[in-house]
Amino acid sequence: MKSLRRYLRLYRIFAVQYIKTMMQSKIDFFIGLGGFLISQGAGIAFLYLVFEQIPSMKDWSFEQMLFIYGFAQIPRGIDHLLTDNLWMVSWQMVIRGTFDKYMLRPMNLFFQIVCEKIQMDALGELLIGMILVARAVSNGTVEITPLKVIFFVISVLAGAVIYTSVKLFFAALAFWVKDSSPFLTTAYEMADFAKYPIEIYSKPIQIILMTVLPFAFVAYIPSTFFLVNRNVLTTVGAECAIAVIFWLISYALFQRGLVRYESAGN
Amino acid sequence: MLKSFKIYWPFASNQIKANFAYKGSFYLYMLRKFFGMFIYYYLWMAIYASSTSDVLGGFTKNEMIMYVFMSYTISDIIMINISSDIGRDVVDGNVAMNLIKPINYRMSLVFRAFGIMIYKLVMPSLFIWVGLEIFKVTKLGMSVSNPVTILAFFISMFLSFLIYVFFDYCFGMLAFVTTYIFGMTIIKNAMLSFLTGRLIPISFFPAVVQKIFSFLPFTAMTYVPVMIYLGKYTGEQILLELGKQLIWAILLFLIGGFLWKKVEKRIVILGG
Repeated sequence: MKSLRRYLRLYRIFAVQYIKTMMQSKIDFFIGLGGFLISQGAGIAFLYLVFEQIPSMKDWSFEQMLFIYGFAQIPRGIDHLLTDNLWMVSWQMVIRGTFDKYMLRPMNLFFQIVCEKIQMDALGELLIGMILVARAVSNGTVEITPLKVIFFVISVLAGAVIYTSVKLFFAALAFWVKDSSPFLTTAYEMADFAKYPIEIYSKPIQIILMTVLPFAFVAYIPSTFFLVNRNVLTTVGAECAIAVIFWLISYALFQRGLVRYESAGN
Repeated sequence: MLKSFKIYWPFASNQIKANFAYKGSFYLYMLRKFFGMFIYYYLWMAIYASSTSDVLGGFTKNEMIMYVFMSYTISDIIMINISSDIGRDVVDGNVAMNLIKPINYRMSLVFRAFGIMIYKLVMPSLFIWVGLEIFKVTKLGMSVSNPVTILAFFISMFLSFLIYVFFDYCFGMLAFVTTYIFGMTIIKNAMLSFLTGRLIPISFFPAVVQKIFSFLPFTAMTYVPVMIYLGKYTGEQILLELGKQLIWAILLFLIGGFLWKKVEKRIVILGG
């Protein structure tokens, strides 16, 4: 408990420092925010134009598709906001040896990496996600009950953990291959599949999305609980189980990687 | 003309060699490109399966499959980012070095991009094309593209390359205003995926929007070559579209020169 308080305090200090550096160039913040807003907007406009032509896709209506799309953005945004610094591990820190600095401090290493950066660009994704979910609630695509709200929060958090786990796993590969960013980018690209119902993909892709890179669980599978009342255990429950399993695997790999880490010399 | 080609060709050949050197990252890059294409492939399959009519936005299902793969491949070949090079040169002051050398900065960038384009044309794209042609003829039962179409297609694609590079040069001038080129690039890519018709064919847009798009240079980037390849344009229309592309290339070239004159005066280099 005491250490938790210590870490929270440390996080606040780091966050404040980071925000100070951000304030130096406010325009960058708006550029980043605008960038992600526009990319999301393009995705939504695509759906809109397509649904001008067809009534529904594989039994999903336009409004339902928008909910899935928006719902997928929220865990992604949370992960993007908080753990973006893992990218630096994957493509710079291990090669250049700058990872050394973390080894010297008496703090949890994962915490140190993560707290160094808050990626404000992610607010674009979060904003779009929340707007789309709010829209779905207001027009009755999903009905809200207290229980659903609780499960929604759980599901979003578990989804963010899945994202972070996948990111940590591929970032940790850098301890072996030095620069793992091509692998990480490739894995991350798979997350784009999660924005649409996975039934539209062929079987092999569906299997990949449910096992090796479990992005089906971050949005589509739990959203069936909210949209068509599928069993909560096989949707949100499965999502939580996947989140825990993948986190344990990734964190274990990260720990093994740390043992292998050798500095770059000088 | 020939002389300047001789001067700048090493920039291109360097890039070709450098790209051949890193094969590993190339294969992963290809894999990623395929993911992107297949998401849209499956989406369109689902869309056509849910539709009551066989033709959407003027495309049959088979044509749409070709459209998705072709527009992805073409935009991959021609969209060579030189704005990120400019951004880097501005941030670390290399621009100054380029100003004192007796070469034209823009030409060196264009030739670098040209080298990358040749590499991409030869390495992945030729294979993809041959594969697509075979797929098209055997599986989709469409006819083989005729030589004239293919010739027009290549001319159109080269013009697309010029349009994109000259456009990106103008865009790169923003590096003199903001250093956050990464964010700007995300904005640019999102806008382009939409405005060029890569995300969804231009014919899906409402008529008014289509009209506006026809006055912008973006449809001349990937939409025109794909439509030529698919045989959607015929005879005179091909010439008309090629002419439009040429005009855009020249126009963007002139705008780029003008912008450079403007920012050249603003350059401040620290140290030396």
